[in-house]
Amino acid sequence: MKTFNKKHIMGILVATVGVLLLFISVSGCFVSEKVAAKSGAQLWAENCQRCHNMPSPATFSPDQWEIVGMHMQTRAQLTNQERDKIVEFLKQ
Amino acid sequence: MKLIVTKILLGLTMLLFILNVQTGYAQQTTTTPQPTAQDTLMDRITALEQQAFQQKRGEDHFMVVGLTTFGLVTNATTNTLAGASTTTRSSTFGNGDTYEFSPMLLWRHGNKFLMEFEPSFNNDGLSVNWADISYFAAPGLIIRAGYMVLPFGIYNKRLAAGWIDKLATDPIGLDIPVSTDYGFEIMGGLPLGDMKWSYDVGVFNGMQLLPDGQLQGAGITDNNINKTFSGRIGLLPLSNSALEFGFSALTGKVGDEGSMYANSKANMYAFDVSYIQPIRPFTVNIKGQFNIMNVDRANYVNPNDSTQSYTYNNHSTSGFAQISVRPAFVDNILKNFEVAYRYASSITPAMSDWGQNQTQSTIGVAYWINWRTVLKLSHEIINTNSTVNPGIVPYGGITNSNSWYIQFSIQL
Repeated sequence: MKTFNKKHIMGILVATVGVLLLFISVSGCFVSEKVAAKSGAQLWAENCQRCHNMPSPATFSPDQWEIVGMHMQTRAQLTNQERDKIVEFLKQ
Repeated sequence: MKLIVTKILLGLTMLLFILNVQTGYAQQTTTTPQPTAQDTLMDRITALEQQAFQQKRGEDHFMVVGLTTFGLVTNATTNTLAGASTTTRSSTFGNGDTYEFSPMLLWRHGNKFLMEFEPSFNNDGLSVNWADISYFAAPGLIIRAGYMVLPFGIYNKRLAAGWIDKLATDPIGLDIPVSTDYGFEIMGGLPLGDMKWSYDVGVFNGMQLLPDGQLQGAGITDNNINKTFSGRIGLLPLSNSALEFGFSALTGKVGDEGSMYANSKANMYAFDVSYIQPIRPFTVNIKGQFNIMNVDRANYVNPNDSTQSYTYNNHSTSGFAQISVRPAFVDNILKNFEVAYRYASSITPAMSDWGQNQTQSTIGVAYWINWRTVLKLSHEIINTNSTVNPGIVPYGGITNSNSWYIQFSIQL
């Protein structure tokens, strides 16, 4: 029973990771021109208010915005492009 | 004698030569032009420029943020049982919903690692909200490990903080028995044409089944050799990210290893939706989540006689729907106000010793002092109808709770 459980868990884990990596590799390159052309300010307005009010760029220093950007990517699951553009906008 | 005179003359000659050289050098020095104030200033600027150019930013960065929430709650609770009603009243600063002080420490190690640690002082004393490390492995792939909020629904992970929540309380029944757990997960957000999707899946210690059929977190040492899988898939079908649908699932064995519940399994599902849209002259914000929780049927210990057992359908549901409206497109004080209403429901298993049907209705107004500081006034009614097994525990009757909250919350 124990052996079965370990194999079962490992099988599900490997399958899940495999499927996700496949999705990532396929969809990671597929972004429309309309979305790719969005500015950091536009992405800031669209994404931050999904959960909370839009933050003022004056709130943190440029180095701190880098940290906040990584933290928010783990919360709101922003794409890399979104995070980079939003952080660049907030650092100005 | 002649030799001594010769030596003295030679010595005097050398002394005169040295003096002559030094005098000549001094004459040359005194003839060099003195630096002007402008030259000194330029030298100083050049030195500062070199210093600024050579200054290293470093790879490691550290910051402290966090939040605090406090307030006042007044409550009147009326219980009606067998035709008789009793009312109790209270007024207190702080309870589980209205007091929290939680500094959050964030370390960024280069562009690949982030460590998050949030201790919290609240109604339960000192505790930890999360302590985890994230590795940003590739675009759309973050690997995390540690003690973290489970990927299940959106409320706990995104909306629960006092400075985000537009009402003073949390929806009832929305916390699954373990909303924060030890384990690891992979997550990411990825574009999909005009749309966007996200995933967040993990493996955790999971939950422990108690003798009365309720669940609690297994803690840092798992109670069995099985692991619990939990994950959420989100889809944002609009190019402006205004709409998001989410589906979550959790599965895992919950019984102690070797116990009579060893094969008992818990399966949970959640559906969530989020929509924010400017509708002149307002911004309308809608949030919702619905949880379904099932535990395999088992025989539970009769608390009145441990040699006896009883059983019931261990099925629970909970959910909430919330709408908030905030004036937009105006440039006066009205833009700082936001009105919110939320309806929530929680149904725990009937004929258990913890069965009840609860509804929660909360309305409030929030005044946003700035984007992360808010003062809230909320009114909440919770109706509870006991559905326990009267052969196991006494019937609890019908309870009506009526509360007013004044709450201040700030993100620091």
